[in-house]
Amino acid sequence: MNLDPRNFPQNVHTALGDTRLKSALARLKTHFSVSRKKSIARFGDFETLRETGRAIRDHAIEHLDTLLETFEKNVTARCGHVHWARTPAEACEIILTILREAGAKTVTKGKTMVSEEIDLNTYLEEAGIAPVETDLGEYIIQLRGEPPSHIIAPAFHLHKDQVAETFRKAHTTLDPDRALTERSALVGEARTMLRARFAAADAGITGANFLSAADGAAVIVTNEGNGDLTRLLPKTHIVLTGIEKVVANMDEVAVLLRLLTRSATGQDITSYVSVMTGPRAADETDGPQNFHVVLVDHGRSDLIGTEAQDILRCIRCSACMNHCPIYMAVGGHAYGATYPGPLGAALNPGLIGMALAHHHPNASTFCGRCEEVCPVKIPLPKIMRHWRAQEYAKGLAPKMPVFALALWAFAAKRPTLYKFGARIGARVLKFMAGRRGAVRALPLKNGWFAVRDFPAPQGQTFQEMWRRR
Amino acid sequence: MSARADILSTIRMRRTGSKPQPSRYKAPPIAGDQVERFAERATIEAAEVRILGSLGEVPDAVADILRARNMAASVHLPPDARIGALPWGTAIALEHTAPGPNDAAVALAPFAIAETGTLVYTSAPDTPASWHFRPGLEIAIVAAGNILPHLEDVLARVGKPLPSTINLVTGPSRTGDIEQTLELGAHGPKALVILVVKN
Repeated sequence: MNLDPRNFPQNVHTALGDTRLKSALARLKTHFSVSRKKSIARFGDFETLRETGRAIRDHAIEHLDTLLETFEKNVTARCGHVHWARTPAEACEIILTILREAGAKTVTKGKTMVSEEIDLNTYLEEAGIAPVETDLGEYIIQLRGEPPSHIIAPAFHLHKDQVAETFRKAHTTLDPDRALTERSALVGEARTMLRARFAAADAGITGANFLSAADGAAVIVTNEGNGDLTRLLPKTHIVLTGIEKVVANMDEVAVLLRLLTRSATGQDITSYVSVMTGPRAADETDGPQNFHVVLVDHGRSDLIGTEAQDILRCIRCSACMNHCPIYMAVGGHAYGATYPGPLGAALNPGLIGMALAHHHPNASTFCGRCEEVCPVKIPLPKIMRHWRAQEYAKGLAPKMPVFALALWAFAAKRPTLYKFGARIGARVLKFMAGRRGAVRALPLKNGWFAVRDFPAPQGQTFQEMWRRR
Repeated sequence: MSARADILSTIRMRRTGSKPQPSRYKAPPIAGDQVERFAERATIEAAEVRILGSLGEVPDAVADILRARNMAASVHLPPDARIGALPWGTAIALEHTAPGPNDAAVALAPFAIAETGTLVYTSAPDTPASWHFRPGLEIAIVAAGNILPHLEDVLARVGKPLPSTINLVTGPSRTGDIEQTLELGAHGPKALVILVVKN
């Protein structure tokens, strides 16, 4: 199931009719937004933390060139390697080359959204290398051949009976009559099956939540510990991440960590935060022998200096989608892109281009909740408005609204015509409403009227009534 | 042009002005006793915390923890000489191989963070990082005096250059990936017991 972002309006209709998705979304809402609120209240002065976080990320984006060079210098000094990729294709090629040189046949993977962005798994499979996702959610959807539906809860759309069915199909070496009704049994089974995969893997690929330039370090945040087993057990560790993840030093990372986990799952900190600097030292027996960092641009640098630059501050917490009325109604798959919700609406046109992503910035009521909850205060509605203007300028905007707005503008600039039209409209609507006082249907507006009535005007315009006073 | 040169030149060409240097952040101070706050937060994060008078009490505490959990009287010890030197006696079998997913293992955390109830491990030849993720039960030892208020304080003490891996560990491994409901013991330890040693 790989939905096309260009079909977003149709995908939305399918998603709205999906009752299982609806109950999964309800669960997501109570868990993430309620926990977030509690954890922020517990912290106290979250506002100063947000301001500092915003300043740290802004400064980093403005000095991305020097920070990346410093990061590279420090990774290299620790016998690690830094690779640069302009496009998804370049990133995939770089990773395949590293894996071929390491003689790798199987690869375990920690959760990385950049890997979804560049569709790495498909590329590796075609090259004869088996990627194994190890984050529980990612593992489940990999077995099902689905993309993630949320950036931090990739399998939230599934119910436990669907997970059980998936495991029965995939884990054929286990007793077919085993009990899989409890969540704990499912987690235990994944633990057992994946532990063997960690040990057998030739290489491990993780993402990075942050990079510290001063230390040449990659930082990952996880709850399961899969990212760490992915780094520590195989001989080669590859960090795959976007160029914008770098900040100056670990003290800045400490500030962003406080923002990230509270805004994401509402945890004060996740079970594991790992700071990974190069391969194992000469006398260490544990950890990877080879350490690579692949820095992916994929349209990010082109956003600098534009009205969309602020989206590069994003720390991928998912608070915006967890509080978005649109995401919360349709889920992530409908977007047909790696990043759904307000984050996707502000980022996707820059990453995959306007032709593919032009519907996403329209998927907003501009209620402003996303900007309110964003830990680094990204003006998401403003960026979406910027993309909407681009959509119109490129002639990609849907024909009907453009035509309707042009019609309205034509009348609005001609007061006599506008007054005449309004008088007709008020009278026609009053006549249609009849004694009910409410209009129950209008042509071309079936969807709107399916769940509501339109209170009828009183038969005269405001100006008519005013003149009579 | 190479990808590296291309990306860097795009960044240099496009960036507009310079944003101000971010001000240094000062985390809200921890009210009250650091050890109490650490124990409180670690307990909320599903770790069990025991306070011991001295390092000499560790072996008995470990034996008691294993008994309480109906586990075999056997623990895996890393090459860390400070752990090996404890008065283990003969009641517990000591293993020196890497622990498996149902084994118990002991580790000594050089630091801990009061703010979040977090243990901090630094990797070294005798303190292998993977040991914090392999076992089913991790028993951590930390000196009360090494519990510092914030991550920033710990980073200042760890010093530069950083070890190849630093692991911040808060409670046992967990996942909410199935129906957003918390389950412990996803890939790492299913349980974490922290022994805070006063002296």
